Amino acid sequence: MTANILDGIVLGLQFGLLAAGLTLIYGLGGVLNLAHGQIAVTSAMTVAFAIDAGVPVVLAVGLGLLAGGFFGLLLDLTILRPVYRLRGEARVLLSLLLTLGVSFIVDGYLNWRYPLKTLNIYIGGGAIDILGVPMRRGSLVASAITLLTITGLFVFFRSTSLGRAIRSVIEDEAGARLIGIDPKQMLRLILVLSGVLAALVAVTRSMVAPVDTQSGLSITVFALIVTVVGGLGNVIGALLAGIILGIVNVVAADLIGSYISLILLLVAAAVTILIRPAGLLGVKE
Amino acid sequence: MSSRFTGSTGTSLIGGTETRTTRSIPALLIPIILVGAALALVPLWLGDSRVLMGVAVLGLAFFCYVIGFNVIFGSTGQLFLCVGALAGVGGFGATILADNAGWPILLSIIAATLAATLIGGLLSYVAVIRSLGVIFTGIVTLIFSLSFDALLLGLSHLTGGDTGRLIKSGSDTFLRERLPPYYLMLGLALVFLLIHGLLRRSHIGWAFRALRDDEIAAELAGVDVARYRVYGALIGAAMLGLAGSTYALTEGRISPTTFGFGHVDVVVMVMLAFGGIGTLFGPIVGAITFTIVDEILIDFGQLRQVAYGILVIILFLWMPRGVIPSAASLWRRISRQVKA
Repeated sequence: MTANILDGIVLGLQFGLLAAGLTLIYGLGGVLNLAHGQIAVTSAMTVAFAIDAGVPVVLAVGLGLLAGGFFGLLLDLTILRPVYRLRGEARVLLSLLLTLGVSFIVDGYLNWRYPLKTLNIYIGGGAIDILGVPMRRGSLVASAITLLTITGLFVFFRSTSLGRAIRSVIEDEAGARLIGIDPKQMLRLILVLSGVLAALVAVTRSMVAPVDTQSGLSITVFALIVTVVGGLGNVIGALLAGIILGIVNVVAADLIGSYISLILLLVAAAVTILIRPAGLLGVKE
Repeated sequence: MSSRFTGSTGTSLIGGTETRTTRSIPALLIPIILVGAALALVPLWLGDSRVLMGVAVLGLAFFCYVIGFNVIFGSTGQLFLCVGALAGVGGFGATILADNAGWPILLSIIAATLAATLIGGLLSYVAVIRSLGVIFTGIVTLIFSLSFDALLLGLSHLTGGDTGRLIKSGSDTFLRERLPPYYLMLGLALVFLLIHGLLRRSHIGWAFRALRDDEIAAELAGVDVARYRVYGALIGAAMLGLAGSTYALTEGRISPTTFGFGHVDVVVMVMLAFGGIGTLFGPIVGAITFTIVDEILIDFGQLRQVAYGILVIILFLWMPRGVIPSAASLWRRISRQVKA
């Protein structure tokens, strides 16, 4: 049981990090990016090909993160430009449809060109005991990187002026503009950041289980569900929801078998949306 | 905070932009009869090939799905991302009732359609009660789609899992002959078209247009927005369930992909966006065009998905009102300039 919960937390932190990127983009720009999982997969493939080409693993991972950030930037510079011209629900809807189109292009191309390619970073060495449970070294490294990133995010948003500027746009866009912050630039920055985060999740995921070209859709869907359960625009909510749903997923998969656990997870998410549309930590407006 | 992005209603993307509908019965009936007559001639051209007739029947099934989705999304602005799942409730429901429970075919189709109707109505009712916006409705229905898919894969003793199942019921009747399934699906599609046409000129259609254009104004004018949203979902879901179950029984073989999200929902969305969201005859244009496009792309495998991705982007970016309405307004502009 403890092993399951630990596994669930590792998975949940990764979900949370994925969702944090999505939720920030939504909070900042009212854009729902359905190509999030595809950014992760594209970055994973970049890393895999770099390793094949003989690039050292650490450098290859760096290239993957760059690819993720570049993908985010590309979205901002091309397909999201017409989205920014709209307001309200139309804006969310158009962003959702256009990024769905992007995800189809990426998925289709990768599955056509490299159907069997996977990224699997193997971290050697024996298991290490945590709370009396032997944990694989790969998942420990993965959670260490994830935790470090989360801490970094918190420091960034609490203590740097850039982080504070981004938060101010989420709180009050008009007010932020009045004190000289350009919301568009902040949004571009966040799209790059969320791309890097997605790439990071793909890399850490590959230390536990292989990431293949078909996983884009499921990554996007999980990220979306965690985002919504955590409350759109709420980073702490996203992390919390990620951990809870991660534990539910792993424990339920172990106790009752995987397809019912997926349904349970989905139902739990739907019920949360219905009971608290603003999310777990959301405040009713 | 997030209400900045979910507050307003009434856009060209949500629902169509058509403002007038014809009131006269002949003006409604004649185009439907013409469409029916034209499509009834298709077997003369393709009738010799079993494969091509199968493609044509699938095209008609999609025609029906697009009309159902059009009633839900185009008329009442509810983004139902579970078109395939609702059709699948019909398809798998009817199959299981007929094959495993031994019900008569007609009765199992009715029961499965009823189930799809109730699920669609329930989803809409919940969304309306919790006043979920377009996006949240989309996410909740997407969650329903995914759960349904997981259920199909999980209950493999009933559904055949990944590989799907063969349908025994109806195998010795006209349902599996070469031409009758085509005319059956065509009849269904024309009836749906007629229902949608009649709906538009009734007081329900009037309420649909009002709530689609401006929800708050409609509410103030005395339209019970919640009630009409649920009506829209009930009618649309009934169409989806009936089309799905009929298609399953004529096809004789179904799998989770037959009703999968990527296989049905995305295609239906592209077809509707192409023909014009909220328009009466948009679904025909979209369904015919993309049935042909799909047949051309079939040899390209995964690249077909790339093509759909590009089409989604092009359609929603440059022609959010649909290709036909866009072309029509362009034609009007040109002809006005020529006159002037």
